[in-house]
Amino acid sequence: MTGNEMLTELGKRLVSGSLSDMALQRATDATPNVAILPWANVVKIGGQSIMDRGRAAVGPVVDEIVANLPRHKMILGTGAGTRARHVYSLAIDLGLPVGVLTVLGTAVAWQNAQMLHYLMAKHGIAFLEPEGFASLPHYLMERGAVICQGMPPYKLWEGNPLVGRIPPQRTDTGCFLIAEVFGARKMIFVKDEDGLFTADPKKDKGATHIPRISVQDLLQRDLDDLVVERAVLELMLRARNISEIQFVNGLKPGQLTAALDGEPVGTVIYNAQMVGRA
Amino acid sequence: MNDVSQGAQHVISRLMRESLVDKQVIAGTEAPVRAILPNLNVIQIGGLSIMDRGHTALLPLLDEIVQNQEKYTQVVGVGPGVRARHILSVGLDLGLPTGALATLAAKSSAQNAYMVSCLLANHGFVYLEAPFIVQLLPAMLAAARGAVFNGIPPYDLWEHPPAVGKIPPHGSDAGSYLVGEVFGARSIILLKDVDGVYDADPKSHPGAKLISEISAADLLAMKLETLPVEPVVLDLITRAKLAKQIRIVNGLVPGNLSRALAGEPVGTLIHA
Repeated sequence: MTGNEMLTELGKRLVSGSLSDMALQRATDATPNVAILPWANVVKIGGQSIMDRGRAAVGPVVDEIVANLPRHKMILGTGAGTRARHVYSLAIDLGLPVGVLTVLGTAVAWQNAQMLHYLMAKHGIAFLEPEGFASLPHYLMERGAVICQGMPPYKLWEGNPLVGRIPPQRTDTGCFLIAEVFGARKMIFVKDEDGLFTADPKKDKGATHIPRISVQDLLQRDLDDLVVERAVLELMLRARNISEIQFVNGLKPGQLTAALDGEPVGTVIYNAQMVGRA
Repeated sequence: MNDVSQGAQHVISRLMRESLVDKQVIAGTEAPVRAILPNLNVIQIGGLSIMDRGHTALLPLLDEIVQNQEKYTQVVGVGPGVRARHILSVGLDLGLPTGALATLAAKSSAQNAYMVSCLLANHGFVYLEAPFIVQLLPAMLAAARGAVFNGIPPYDLWEHPPAVGKIPPHGSDAGSYLVGEVFGARSIILLKDVDGVYDADPKSHPGAKLISEISAADLLAMKLETLPVEPVVLDLITRAKLAKQIRIVNGLVPGNLSRALAGEPVGTLIHA
């Protein structure tokens, strides 16, 4: 067909073949990877771990973010927290499906993002809905940060979890995917622990800290509890841009700054297969 | 543990203070799910397989949808077709990531869905974007006589990187399936240009046999090189709470849609 002359060899296969063809999928691997915002840092502010604590925890975190505005560009995503737990409990009790729980949970992450926005508005920090992400580079360039709610915009289209009824892809996943699609410099999760432990340190005093671990090793350990949504670990294995994610304690001033500066605070989870790549 | 760590202001609930990542907590949330719209039938019109063929393929199918309007509540998802393939080609050549490709491809299926809604407009069908599916679908179905939506789910920049390559894994089959699952639809029917799933690619294997019924797990285990349905849909079916089967039928054969709506064994039934 003469109309296909402008297409690449891969393009000719794409317009005529089946997208489920494994050979075609493998062929798309050999295309370049553009990092859209390579200087942006995605920082996730925990819901239950930070926002629900109110001023005592949020105040110092906001101060630290503001102090970093001149040096680091930050996409700030928020978690949901205790109100999400309440609404998930209620919705499960009412027999509502996972997609509806995602819509409900998104509203809680949105509330937290709005509150963070009110606290940072005087520094010129805007809040963006997913539909407004095309403006994100401008705000980052002009003001150094933007705020968004952390949930991915899957709404009713969230898939079921393997077990149970809680939406498997929540705010950790949403923030990670923002970092991945933009090819961000860093993905930092701000929570209320020093990172990853061998068990939940809130419940098990014998739990020991893990400063650095590969995602492959972590998945193999098959821990009952984790510092991050399992979906993030599974997506890390497929990610092309993000080779590591970092967890810091937002209750300890300075940890976020250290992580932004590239220091190994908290816990780093890295993809062993991407080390040395790119 | 420092003082502030106990300072969270909680709302009392069964999940209060719990880690939502904890396996036991997750397992404890298992409970029955209610079907929100149990009379709904989700019909997916393929992009490359139906839409791109133009009126000769599409109009008889739309006539059949209209014929079934009295008897069945139908919402119609539409796939993107060749324009999405083209923008995938250009986007991949430019080095764009999967999330950007998904956002771009979703516009092609939105165009197709909009065209279908125009052709069904005088029969009372409305076109609903994702936010309106969330807020208005039940009201629209009470007032209108059917709805058309963009088959590609609104994952946009948040689309998953696939296990292999860069093609967005959640296309219009996945989006239509997930609409059926979340509303607890009566049936999910994918209209394609093949009679169903074969045990080998019928285009290259003339002796390939049609599979009339198979479980999603068994079909995945066959590791076929090509499928007439997005592989991610098979994964989703294995985790189904409500929509435990889909039917793939040839939309180019008159009467197939009506037979599928009536629950007759046409095409391929894939079940949980």
